[in-house]
Amino acid sequence: MAQKPKVDPHVGRLGYLQALVTEFQETESQDAKEQVLANLANFAYDPNNYQYLRQLQVLDLFLDSLSEENENLVEFAIGGLCNLCPDRANKEHILQTGGIPLIINCLSSPNEETVLSAVTTIMYLSSPGSASHPELTAMPVVQCMLRFSLSANTRLRNLAQIFLEDFCSPSQVAEARSWRAHSALGIPLPRTEALQQP
Amino acid sequence: MAASGGELGGVFDHHVQRAVCDTRAKYREGRRPRAVKVYTINLESRYLLIQGVPAVGAMKELVERFALYGAIEQYNALDEYPAEDFTEVYLIKFMNLQSARTAKRKMDEQSFFGGLLHVCYAPEFETVEETRKKLQERKAYIARTTKNKDHYVTKKKLVTELKNTQDFRQDFHSETSGCAATLNTSTGNSDPCLPYSCELPLCYFSSKCTCSSGEHMDRASNFSQDGRNHEETLEHCMHSDSLQKIRVKPFKNSSVCPGAQKAITSSEAVDRFMPRTTQLQERKRRREDDRKIGTFLGTSTSSDEVMIGPLLPDLHKVDMHDDSLNTTANLIRNKLKEVISSTPKPPEDKLEDVHTSRPLKQRRRI
Repeated sequence: MAQKPKVDPHVGRLGYLQALVTEFQETESQDAKEQVLANLANFAYDPNNYQYLRQLQVLDLFLDSLSEENENLVEFAIGGLCNLCPDRANKEHILQTGGIPLIINCLSSPNEETVLSAVTTIMYLSSPGSASHPELTAMPVVQCMLRFSLSANTRLRNLAQIFLEDFCSPSQVAEARSWRAHSALGIPLPRTEALQQP
Repeated sequence: MAASGGELGGVFDHHVQRAVCDTRAKYREGRRPRAVKVYTINLESRYLLIQGVPAVGAMKELVERFALYGAIEQYNALDEYPAEDFTEVYLIKFMNLQSARTAKRKMDEQSFFGGLLHVCYAPEFETVEETRKKLQERKAYIARTTKNKDHYVTKKKLVTELKNTQDFRQDFHSETSGCAATLNTSTGNSDPCLPYSCELPLCYFSSKCTCSSGEHMDRASNFSQDGRNHEETLEHCMHSDSLQKIRVKPFKNSSVCPGAQKAITSSEAVDRFMPRTTQLQERKRRREDDRKIGTFLGTSTSSDEVMIGPLLPDLHKVDMHDDSLNTTANLIRNKLKEVISSTPKPPEDKLEDVHTSRPLKQRRRI
């Protein structure tokens, strides 16, 4: 995960990121796309890169990649978003460009890391308590989180619990619970699988 | 894609070492061959899983080796974890995440007692509270780093605008409104950010006031009015755009001082936030001021002499109470004088260039 030495911080880093973005857009090879996207997602971990990533529209690149068929690309893209969304400016950009539905979709993925990254991203995008973006705590999302909170997967369970405790009001959780009781979706969780949203 | 086992202590996908990627384009090959993997805050953890430890009873040595990277909170062997023959698996919990990250980076694929260690994160061992804390710390870290960067970028602009007193007022208002916007829209729930973000406008104020001694008098009068309200307005600073209410305490005393002294006190007030280049410029300016004062009072020996660091005391003649010692001392003194006087250097462009200046080098040896 260590990156190359910062020899010439501003020119070198921006140029390198630009080269990555260009390769991603031009290459035909799925492998190369995966490698480049993973590289960008790891760069998104370091706040020092955020201005470059915004400049190169990497945020949009991540959001677009969420719709890819290739599961690895989705995993890396949502991972990249998870890494950079705690930053205020990045968060605004994601919210304004309508990223929420795409991220919520990731909750249905069969890929464990994708789901985990999606849950964390949703948490970082919402501010606790205030209802700045109601879609983030809409009923389907809360219900999904409720199911996750009963999962055998510890990581998923922990994250879902934090979401329900810190980012949902008790009434929302209660409502979601009562919905579950009435719907036919109250299927017991499989032992080892992360649950998918129908 | 979940655990085969599902329980704590079982094998998870993220424990498995992936094959390194060998098809990378040249320009993006790293120093070490790596797998294609994305690390998010979810995956990283204070808990590290270490596989491939040779079963030679070396737990103590293992822990000591890892402890080089940070304090370890607890460690234990994982006896149920599937391991290759003659190897053991350990779990080490670090006190903080950064130590764990460093330890993982450094110790992964390292040889230990004849075996190759495989180190990975084990976030499934975290409690809910630990996960929550981890996510919050990440958010706080990003907020800190980006605020620092914003401040640094704006500070650079401020320093270059020092000459520009005309646009002073306009810039000032646009900066503070920008700053207010930042403060207003930042997440209000994170208390650790509160004192930090409030100190930000303090710097703006103090740095702006060094710009021109003429303008500062108006502001000084504004300052002293609400000086006492500093504590109360600190809470409100996040919610209102009345940044003008936030006062800098040092200014209360120095509002009547001449401009140069004010520059020094204000720069001390902003010491915490001044990026390095600004400090260098400050020192340079102070040196020049001192030199100018020195020339007036006649204390500096020559106006061409480069002065970096404290001035040497005058070499007064010390009697060593011994003839041979005195002779030696005099010889050394004379040699020194010779060397120092023999190499005059142009002052202006050598201010930063200490290493190539011989008289200074001599001084440092002594």
